Amino acid sequence: MWGLREVTALERPPTDLIDRVVERLAGVLRPDQILTAKTDRYNRARVPAPFPVHRWRERVPDLAVLPESTEEVAAVVAIANELKCPVVPRDGGTGLTDGAVPLRGGIVVDVKRMNQIHELDLENRTVTVGTGINMLKLNEVLGKHGLIYPDDPASYPCSLVGGRIGTSGWSLIGARYGHTRDLVLSFDLVLPTGEILHVGDGIGRQISKSSSGYQLKHLFMGHQGTLGIATKATLKLYPKPEAELSPFWAFDDYDAAYRFTGALARAGVATFAGAVLFDEWKVAYLRRDDEAYIPQPADVRALTCAVLYGWEDEVRVGGKRLFRIAKEHGARYLGDEISEGDWAARHDRYATPLHGRTKSGQVVPMSWHCEDAAVNYTRVPAVTKAWHEIVADLRRKTDVFDDWGMFAYTSADTGVDYLTEIDVGIWEQRLDDDAWAMWVRAKRDIAAAALAHGGSISACHGSCREGEVDLVPRELGRGFDVMLGVKRMLDPNNIMNPGKYLLDLAYQGGDLAARLAELRGEA
Amino acid sequence: MTQTEPERTVRPDALQRPFTPGDPGNDPELETYPETVHGPVPLELSDRRTAEFVEEWRNASYNCYSSGHKFCREVCPVMQVTRNESWTPTAFHANVVAMEKGELEVADIAADYVNCTQCGACELRCPNTLFTGDFYRFRTRTVDVVKAVRALAVESGVHQPNWRTWNARTDDRTHEPVLGETEISQENVRNWAEGLDIPIGGETVLFVDCEAAFYRTAVPRAVAQILQRAGYEFGLMGEQWCCGGPAAEMGYVDQARRFARHNLDNWRATGTKRVLVLDPHDYISFTEDYPKYFGAEFDIEVVLVVEVLADLLAQGKLTPTVPVNRTITYHDPCRLNKRKGIWEEPRQVLRSIPGLTFHDVDRVTQWSYCSGGGGGLPVEKPELTAAISERRLGHAAELGVDTLVSACPWSERPLSEAGDKRDIDVIDIHEIVAESLGIEVGGSRGAVGDRRCGGCAK
Amino acid sequence: MSYRYSDEHAPPAPQRASEVAVTTHEHVFEVDPRLMERWVLQQTFPNWDTLRIMHARHDHLDWMHAHFAQKTITGSDLIAEIENEA
Ligand SMILES: Cc1cc2nc3c(=O)[nH]c(=O)nc-3n(C[C@H](O)[C@H](O)[C@H](O)COP(=O)(O)OP(=O)(O)OC[C@H]3O[C@@H](n4cnc5c(N)ncnc54)[C@H](O)[C@@H]3O)c2cc1C
Ligand code: SF4
Repeated sequence: MWGLREVTALERPPTDLIDRVVERLAGVLRPDQILTAKTDRYNRARVPAPFPVHRWRERVPDLAVLPESTEEVAAVVAIANELKCPVVPRDGGTGLTDGAVPLRGGIVVDVKRMNQIHELDLENRTVTVGTGINMLKLNEVLGKHGLIYPDDPASYPCSLVGGRIGTSGWSLIGARYGHTRDLVLSFDLVLPTGEILHVGDGIGRQISKSSSGYQLKHLFMGHQGTLGIATKATLKLYPKPEAELSPFWAFDDYDAAYRFTGALARAGVATFAGAVLFDEWKVAYLRRDDEAYIPQPADVRALTCAVLYGWEDEVRVGGKRLFRIAKEHGARYLGDEISEGDWAARHDRYATPLHGRTKSGQVVPMSWHCEDAAVNYTRVPAVTKAWHEIVADLRRKTDVFDDWGMFAYTSADTGVDYLTEIDVGIWEQRLDDDAWAMWVRAKRDIAAAALAHGGSISACHGSCREGEVDLVPRELGRGFDVMLGVKRMLDPNNIMNPGKYLLDLAYQGGDLAARLAELRGEA
Repeated sequence: MTQTEPERTVRPDALQRPFTPGDPGNDPELETYPETVHGPVPLELSDRRTAEFVEEWRNASYNCYSSGHKFCREVCPVMQVTRNESWTPTAFHANVVAMEKGELEVADIAADYVNCTQCGACELRCPNTLFTGDFYRFRTRTVDVVKAVRALAVESGVHQPNWRTWNARTDDRTHEPVLGETEISQENVRNWAEGLDIPIGGETVLFVDCEAAFYRTAVPRAVAQILQRAGYEFGLMGEQWCCGGPAAEMGYVDQARRFARHNLDNWRATGTKRVLVLDPHDYISFTEDYPKYFGAEFDIEVVLVVEVLADLLAQGKLTPTVPVNRTITYHDPCRLNKRKGIWEEPRQVLRSIPGLTFHDVDRVTQWSYCSGGGGGLPVEKPELTAAISERRLGHAAELGVDTLVSACPWSERPLSEAGDKRDIDVIDIHEIVAESLGIEVGGSRGAVGDRRCGGCAK
Repeated sequence: MSYRYSDEHAPPAPQRASEVAVTTHEHVFEVDPRLMERWVLQQTFPNWDTLRIMHARHDHLDWMHAHFAQKTITGSDLIAEIENEA
């Protein structure tokens, strides 16, 4: 049985080891790059995903370092490997699967100082940057050259390129421009042993497609910092779009909006950058406080939006095609003001705590938790239904949880699969051990529902939080054994972000096959 | 399939249908579910001050802690030059929650709170303000939290050495020690106005901040002469003290209140009903701190000079005619643009000046610009102020300008120092308007001065 | 243009906008205050602050459009074109 993983007592490096680490680091970094004060450590123990506040201290690292170059990162990691001290890569700290949260203490390697623009190649249309740079900030500079780096998560103004690599992120406009893995051409990576590896297709920094040798790029993206630290990346650039179109349409019910969303995604319009389906729970939720939806008539119950980017003439032609489809589907256009205003808020809106409500309607401050999965179009309604029921069950027991509705976003330009997301409000101030256990169970049920429908546990955040992580060996099958093998080979001392993705199994004795069978529910 | 008819796997109930909580038409069953979670046991904090502090600020800080998404990070001026996550708005709120949980004490956190200019970028950019602050009448209060932590530190005897001296000297001389080793005295507070023949007291008085009154005296001289030119009646304060704002910003709250009381009483004594303010920092003190101290008793009208100028220009009471041949960009002072939403009037004023080539940068881009001159930062960490100013001048230099125009005397000293290295003059909006009105301003433009203004005294 | 305590603390009378929201200033919606009586209490909010936030939001959204593309094409424009072509 893959039961609840019991919370193990915290394993931390002993203090004399930390003292030695600090002493050695002083040989490779300036004093202002080595942070050991309490606040420095407490503020690198968290990410936005809710966690019981009374257990904060379990995740506090022993120190943090602020390296400024690949060589400095390599020197730090080499020392950590030699002294067998855990290392946790941290960039924006916006990840939602606890990737940047230390589970075993040790050193947080905070790469935010590596935010330089090293080289802008206007001819080949690439830019080489330090991985501590933010996309919005980068695009402020690229915009002056008429270019854009179109990796656009809803955390666009706050997540950073290194974290995008570490999570293999998902972009709102990925149906048009691809996602992080398509947009990052290559990068330098410090391996867990401190060696430096250049990862990319082919040997060049700027090759977008090679078929020479193993294709290692995907392996070194989305590993949640368990295989190394990316320090410098070369990114693919596009012309900054001349025109944007972002129509929103309303429907009487979910079914109609769902059919319409599918039709838009299947239409094959080249400038189509994505469509989003808002379900009936989402619309009811938006009526709490969203100025665009408060005044809508009661028969607005579900929504679809689409977004197109490109040259104005292309966008007009493509846009008209979508509006004709809208007419066939009886879609009601919500007007220019709402369409434009709402889309512009998608790059950075999301969780504000006061969205939270008790069932009787009182405002409570809640953390936002976004549970995401990758699901095929035909399975979206079933997953939607199953997930709402899981959250309804939580709400039957307590006001600590709230259902903020669901989105389904196109991931690809053909409409094959959707990032399916349920937003759950969690009243963290009241999150005690019982409520946390309830949540962990619900997370597992949410992940299991996605797998039962042939999906993946996560389309964007990763799946290494408590609850969902136990299902990863099921999802990956034999692939998980390969993961263990790769981890053991590249990180012989298990220093790189230990405790994530059940990778400790790679280092444990005993009957691994039996343990994996148990996790897969085959025992 | 529609969502209102889910598969009946469990007994159908009110939670299986979407609803908007608080709607009186909702299913009454919603009120009947039990609450099975007890919540964590609250901690008794032994330190009384900390306990009171936490009680007052926990929800404000929790509003960020529970989000933690860091949309504020890249607009923070200190963060941009240090890239140290310990000195971000997110950390400033999280520390309060950690204090509530007994994990941190004021002595652990006080020094981190130096690293803030109180520019307000973070709290404006925060979605909890920008998207829902007005809806809930509940917004992110990072500046208030920083001030409150600094105050708690001072009350708890945890001082920052330079702030302590600065405020002691201010207390002693009733003005900030803006001239370094040279002591300031109350008798000299009106020296800047020499020869301008301005009466004392009256219905409207012009309040001049310490930096402008003693250091960049060209600014108040420009303001006074422009107003005189337009026939706008005003006097000077009977006995002006520092507004108290800087003391409040650095945590010396009792001192700040004493100074505020003095000024309010002094206005009363001269029958003053309206205070004209040329400095954005004073504008914050008078429109945010004083109302907090005095409530409805604070019945003084507060008027910002730049807005008066825009109005006088629009009405044709002032017409700049002398061409000013400079290529400029405008620095949005944080306390106007971010904290007050005042950005249009200064641009209107600048557009009225003949001869100028104006490369404007929009107000939203400028949410992430700052001079580093606020919140006591230059007193305690002048190297950070300098780095922030240098970045700001870097943005200006990209535009190929020869002059950066600001509207905040406190920004002008560090910006001028950074501009000096790039041959970019930093001048005040009031100075440039006066110049274009053909006024010989006089006074000082600080140690660096203004290279392109032939006749200007240093 | 100027600040007076008494003006700032007298917001326009609320009009009901939905079962859970009201409107006050032009373009400003607010929560029905009865929903903020128990767990989170509303802050003191002078009028200038409400208006500052509302204006900043609009400016920010305009900025975001301009950041991602040089211009925005409106749906109503395209609908009109389609109708003309029909
Ligand atoms: C409001 C909000 C909206 C979001 N929307 C989206 C979305 O639309 N799409 C999406 O994909 N995600 C989204 N996320 C999640 C998050 O922003 C992404 O996972 C992002 O990629 C994390 O980047 P970061 O810089 O914050 O990384 P961090 O959180 O610091 O790190 C993420 C992971 O990467 C590892 N890591 C960090 N730096 C490196 C490095 N240099 N080399 C190797 N590994 C590293 C860390 O150890 C960790 O495991 C959202 C988050 C928030 C708060
Ligand atoms: S201040 Fe606002 S933007 Fe910054 S982390 Fe907190 S909630 Fe997020």
